[in-house]
Amino acid sequence: MPVPKGYAGKVAFIDLSKPEARIVSTDQFFAEYGIEPRLWLGGDGFIAKILWKDITKAIDPLSPENEIVVATGPYTGTAAPQAGRSMLGCISPETGGYSSGSFGWYFPATLKYAGFDVIVVRGKAAKPTYVFIDDGEISFHDASKIWGKETGETVKAVRTELGERYDSEIRVLSIAPAAEHLVLYSPPAGDATSCPGRSGGGTVMGSKNLKAIAVRGTGEIPIHDPRGLLDASYRAVKKFQAEEPTLKLWKEEGATTDLSVTAEWPMTGHELGVNRDAADFPKLNNAGCLNCHAPCYHWLQLKEGKHAGLRQLGGHMTYITTGLRNLGFEKFDDWIYYERLTQELGLDPASFSMAFSYAVDLFMKGILTTEDTDGLVMRRADGELVSEVAKRVSYRQGKFGNLLADGVANMAKKLGPEAIAIMPQTVKNKPSIQRDSKLQALMWSFGALTNPRGGDWLRVHNVWELAFLPESRDTYPKYIGMTNLQLYERSLELLDMPMELKKQIFGDPPKTDVAWIRGTNGKARFTVWTENFVGLFNTVVTCMFGAATQFMIVGFGPTTYAEVLSKITGWDLTYDELMKVGERSVTLQRAFNYRLKGWDAKDDKFQDKAAYEPGTVGIYRNRIVPWEPILKEYYQIRGWTPDGVPTKATLKELKLDDVAAELNLTV
Amino acid sequence: MEEKTIVFDPVLCTGCMRCMTTCSTYNNGATSLSRARIHIMRHEGHAITRIDEEDELIFQAFTCQQCDKPYCSYFCPARAIARNTETGAMVINYDKCIGCRMCIVACPFGAMRYDSTKKQTFKCQLCDGDPQCVKFCPQEALKFLPKGMANIPNIDRLSKKIVELRPTIAVEVSVTEGKHASS
Repeated sequence: MPVPKGYAGKVAFIDLSKPEARIVSTDQFFAEYGIEPRLWLGGDGFIAKILWKDITKAIDPLSPENEIVVATGPYTGTAAPQAGRSMLGCISPETGGYSSGSFGWYFPATLKYAGFDVIVVRGKAAKPTYVFIDDGEISFHDASKIWGKETGETVKAVRTELGERYDSEIRVLSIAPAAEHLVLYSPPAGDATSCPGRSGGGTVMGSKNLKAIAVRGTGEIPIHDPRGLLDASYRAVKKFQAEEPTLKLWKEEGATTDLSVTAEWPMTGHELGVNRDAADFPKLNNAGCLNCHAPCYHWLQLKEGKHAGLRQLGGHMTYITTGLRNLGFEKFDDWIYYERLTQELGLDPASFSMAFSYAVDLFMKGILTTEDTDGLVMRRADGELVSEVAKRVSYRQGKFGNLLADGVANMAKKLGPEAIAIMPQTVKNKPSIQRDSKLQALMWSFGALTNPRGGDWLRVHNVWELAFLPESRDTYPKYIGMTNLQLYERSLELLDMPMELKKQIFGDPPKTDVAWIRGTNGKARFTVWTENFVGLFNTVVTCMFGAATQFMIVGFGPTTYAEVLSKITGWDLTYDELMKVGERSVTLQRAFNYRLKGWDAKDDKFQDKAAYEPGTVGIYRNRIVPWEPILKEYYQIRGWTPDGVPTKATLKELKLDDVAAELNLTV
Repeated sequence: MEEKTIVFDPVLCTGCMRCMTTCSTYNNGATSLSRARIHIMRHEGHAITRIDEEDELIFQAFTCQQCDKPYCSYFCPARAIARNTETGAMVINYDKCIGCRMCIVACPFGAMRYDSTKKQTFKCQLCDGDPQCVKFCPQEALKFLPKGMANIPNIDRLSKKIVELRPTIAVEVSVTEGKHASS
């Protein structure tokens, strides 16, 4: 079977132990892994299929048996909107289960221009190594001199050593000191800019002595209907620009101010919006990944404070959220410096800040003393302290650096019942990105429970409840010149979802009001839809920042993806077919974790006690979140058993008969 | 009608290179950056500097300026490059092109490129008068303007800048006079 259009045509299996690279055509790769491309597309779909075949029982995530899979999709590198993304997958060093993260900037597209759809890295190099993919050729290079360098310096050194012919020609996915020292939560960084966050992939690269993967690509990607693709892409972006209500906010504030901050919901973040005055913005516009019409990178320079003059490309919301909630930062320059520092050191801001925050709580309770912290007095809102701790953790310095480097779950286990009692939000040994699960709304928090990669909500991340703020919290609608009710009605009308499903979720006729937001009706169904949709765009692969219900309220939906992908590939894809692709990918990840770790309903639980106690702010102030009933409904809608295991019938319907057979399911 | 040219505004550009993916897809039927007729030159200082150094982020578009005195054409020994009087674009006649790459030597902007598969040079030919890069730029950083209006985006930006700067100038004057800017 010929390789479908939209794919680059080759797959590389890189064995670091030998070291050697085996390059096969993409159709041979499909045959080896039993992949019908139309059912899986790419990205997370391919990663799930590869790991399902290659890793059949639990392994030590830091052993040579673990794999790093970089999987692009048919969107990547083409003229489709937001075509700069790829997924990176592995077995998570934090959870021991399935893990993946999305990243962009220009490494993924360049990989496809070099001719590769997927690269799989196995084994362990005898000494620090980096790999260079120079169009079709793959070579191995000694990284001894580069080992130990921070992210930006690594990019510079690799580009210089390989003889870059013009600025930014060679793209570098690299690790930093935290990964080299096997801090359990280190992501790699693409061109020191975009990270597959929360994947732990950097740590796995570190365990393989793999400092970096560099790529130069000068080739082209075949397109089924080039003019048709351009037409679909043009219309999609124009529609987005005309109709997306959050675009005004996005353009003006970008990712430095997400919905929750502008809306003062329910974090105390508003001052940060004002604090943006603390920086200059040398470029009027943000910067973005390939073909992005809603770019999120701020290019900013701090005007005052200890780090005045520092320039940073970023200002991303994960840093706001974690800086505010977990580190207690109030000053803009503190969190911008923290963003840059953690990027340079290779620390996942979520896992690191949760560990830091937990250490503060433990210190205040007297469970940790200055003897355990190597003399540090732990507190929040102290930029200097955060920087010091970040460095100690990245280099695993002292008792304290080592304690935090193993993450929240291991800290709790090590320190005993008193510590376990005050754990921050954690699921499957992976901390979420905020201390309190109930600070955000129901669907938002719920995503953490079922996420195959553990406790973060990015595989649901539905902002629907957040954007439409009940009662007096209507800063956001006012900002865009609408009332709450108008925004609701318009967004519900534009949401790319069949009317039948809208009725099931929002009632007949569909309506969202304060009662809907505060209640549970339709939430499980909307969560399932969103999780499948996220599953879909992670196979496409495209960006969540442009996707419906994610950071955008309306954004792109399955209809747009179907239209654009059909022009790229020549397949006549439909809404339903694509939503099935998302569901299939999510379900295989679930089945993978079930086979590998036995994860089922008993593991869809918060490990912290606070999640099951009444909330202090927001929708769940003085109320307990009804996790269990929603979870029960969720399993039912998914066609899983009450124990949270996909049934034979469900797997068969998703064309996963082989998975059903392998799992020996009785129902 | 006055000839038009593609005008680039570096302040609006986000470096997304949609102009390049669009150009190659439209003109070659396959997406690439290497065979696009417009090129976004990049300097990504953030990726290559230490945290304590000042760095810079620059995007700059390079494409054919459709020069009034087209050196590409003057240097072409095969007389393969001539102006299309309808669109104003300098167009390569591939029946005449011998692939000698003299036009690459001649062009002051690096806007002529060579396709080693086809053994021919290629350049921006303004998509028959409707340049797709301009149409697809999501930030309107590319404009297609009559040559006499090519400075308009700069004038527009500077006039806005002057409005922005005026209060600062007033503050500086009052400070030198020993007064507080605001009471």
